[in-house]
Amino acid sequence: MSFQLPTCGSKDEPLYAIGARFNTPDDLVRAVKRLRGSGYSSFECFTPYPLHGLPEVMHLNKSILSLLVLGGGISAVIIALTMELIPSCLIYPLIVDGKPLNLSALPQYIPITVALTLMISAITAVAGMILLGGMPRLNNPMFAWDLFSREAGRAFFLAVEARDRKFDAKDVTELLHDLGGYEITAIHEEEPDLPHSNNRR
Amino acid sequence: MSTLSANPESATPPGDSVDLSTIERPPQVLNGRDPHWVTDAVCSIVESKTPLWWYIGISISGTFAAIGGACILYMIATGVGVWGSNSPCFWAWDITNFIFWVSMAHAGSLISALLFLTRQKWSLSISRAAEAMTVFAIICAGVYPAIHIGRVWFVWFLFPVPNNYGMWPNFSSPLLWDVFAVTSYLTVSSLFWFAGMIPDLSVLRDRATTKVRKFCYGIASLGWLGTARQWRHFEMMYVLLAGLTAVLVVTVTTIVSSDCATSVVPGWHATIFPFYFMVGAVYSGSAAVLTLIIPLRLAYPQLRDLITPAQLDKVCKLLLMMGSCVAYVYVMELFNAWYSANAFERGTFWERFHGGYCWYAITCLSINLTIPQLFWFKRVRSCLPLVFVLAILCNVGMWFERFMIVTTSLLRDFLPSSWGNFHATITDILTATGTLGIFFTLFLLFIRFVPIMSMNEVKAALPGAQSADHLTTEESH
Repeated sequence: MSFQLPTCGSKDEPLYAIGARFNTPDDLVRAVKRLRGSGYSSFECFTPYPLHGLPEVMHLNKSILSLLVLGGGISAVIIALTMELIPSCLIYPLIVDGKPLNLSALPQYIPITVALTLMISAITAVAGMILLGGMPRLNNPMFAWDLFSREAGRAFFLAVEARDRKFDAKDVTELLHDLGGYEITAIHEEEPDLPHSNNRR
Repeated sequence: MSTLSANPESATPPGDSVDLSTIERPPQVLNGRDPHWVTDAVCSIVESKTPLWWYIGISISGTFAAIGGACILYMIATGVGVWGSNSPCFWAWDITNFIFWVSMAHAGSLISALLFLTRQKWSLSISRAAEAMTVFAIICAGVYPAIHIGRVWFVWFLFPVPNNYGMWPNFSSPLLWDVFAVTSYLTVSSLFWFAGMIPDLSVLRDRATTKVRKFCYGIASLGWLGTARQWRHFEMMYVLLAGLTAVLVVTVTTIVSSDCATSVVPGWHATIFPFYFMVGAVYSGSAAVLTLIIPLRLAYPQLRDLITPAQLDKVCKLLLMMGSCVAYVYVMELFNAWYSANAFERGTFWERFHGGYCWYAITCLSINLTIPQLFWFKRVRSCLPLVFVLAILCNVGMWFERFMIVTTSLLRDFLPSSWGNFHATITDILTATGTLGIFFTLFLLFIRFVPIMSMNEVKAALPGAQSADHLTTEESH
């Protein structure tokens, strides 16, 4: 096939990736397997919903989010107990009905500890998901691809990034074509708004 | 191709051992709709022209909310004396409404979190609306604790803020636990609601036709692309949040019930209270979900394939189960009052059914003991207008229950000399209707501006949505 791809983004900017659309989840998973088999590693799949098995065939590790949340939860317990015990036992002992204030009264400090632990864990989970997912990032070369926006929530896309060691525009285009991808498009970086923001990923 | 009427259980004669894996589940989405259709159906609610009923609805609810807000301002400017609460009944409509709203919130969390954890896929299409209901109900509940303290400008005393008086709150007080519980609950359920919505907001961003929409949804969706890496973290987060929320619901309801249960007031001082509040919460919340979902289906006919009668049937069954638990608690409470042989405990319950406030208890019991039991009948469960009316009645019954617990217990305690009466003032009533106004205003805004259904979850559960291919060995690797 002749090497003349439709392009999007600004043509003067470096190439970001070559993207293709796939019809079904099966096609996408099969294409990913072949891509990995051919030695590509810097590519990304875009799906309208979580596709089970895709992280495995992409050789992505298990999300470390659970570990972060565990850390958040443990620090929350320490923060909560410190916040309660230091005022109650040391700096402002408040004796109500002659109840003890020391550690033997620990049960009365548990409800707030539980509530705060759950809250801080949840904040960690959401903040972790956002940051690990590379968000918030309001600009992305993919947004320049009008098909990507038009088919939002419907289509499966695969983009082989130009930073891949094996990347060669012609080879990738042919490979994507062989794998059943269509509407193959060269996606260029967007024109930088500011002179110093031209940092390629 | 609707297999809706097929009852999977009836396929096997009773008594035989059943291989559960062979039982066909009722379809998630009717009429064999595909992912494209789901996207269009849900997004069209936000993208189409605002219907007239929406303007009428929000004018009414907005008016009530504004009147409620004016009442709150009046109360702050004048003092809590504008409410009917007075010695010995220092807690009346304020705490009644607080418990009513915070309880209603619980069902939303449970439907989305607990049913998600147990992989009950039928709840997917209603979970977003149920979560929204949770968040808005907590906001309504949160109105009261802040203002009922009287001098609202001292509300920061509730939080452990270092201050120049060197004073700290009493961490062993259930009222302070309440502050932390409700704050956590609002934070966590808002996060659960918002974080689950990010992928769907990105769909609205990509479909946006105007610059303002593109900007707003663009900011809200945080640049979500739907990459495999993002989904991996997203799914992990969703499981974690569901787990945290499920624990939080039980914690919050227990702490709220401790407000009453840790006191010595007869009628409050009971170990059954956490369970009592929990089942009452899920019961009233399921009723509220039905109250909101059924008109929503009517207003947007395209949702009928997504929110199926089979799903509503399951919510009715949840309502029935929780209603029966509530009935059990009523009976146990009366039994315990008698069995305790405590004159004050017995006196309180005698007074509930014989005193001037007996009609509260009678309304509460007659509704909550009978209405949910009607849901044993499939004919009742499948008649949606009837379900709607009964669900509203259940919520009315629950309000009376909260009033009965909070107020009538306070009115008659140990000393006859300190007995009193309670009469709601117009400010009480308009503040309460104001919270209803706030709730419906927020819900109407929710319908209009964000995807009311978790599109990604519904699409992921459609037949053929997942690849069967990844299980096979990898080619050429």
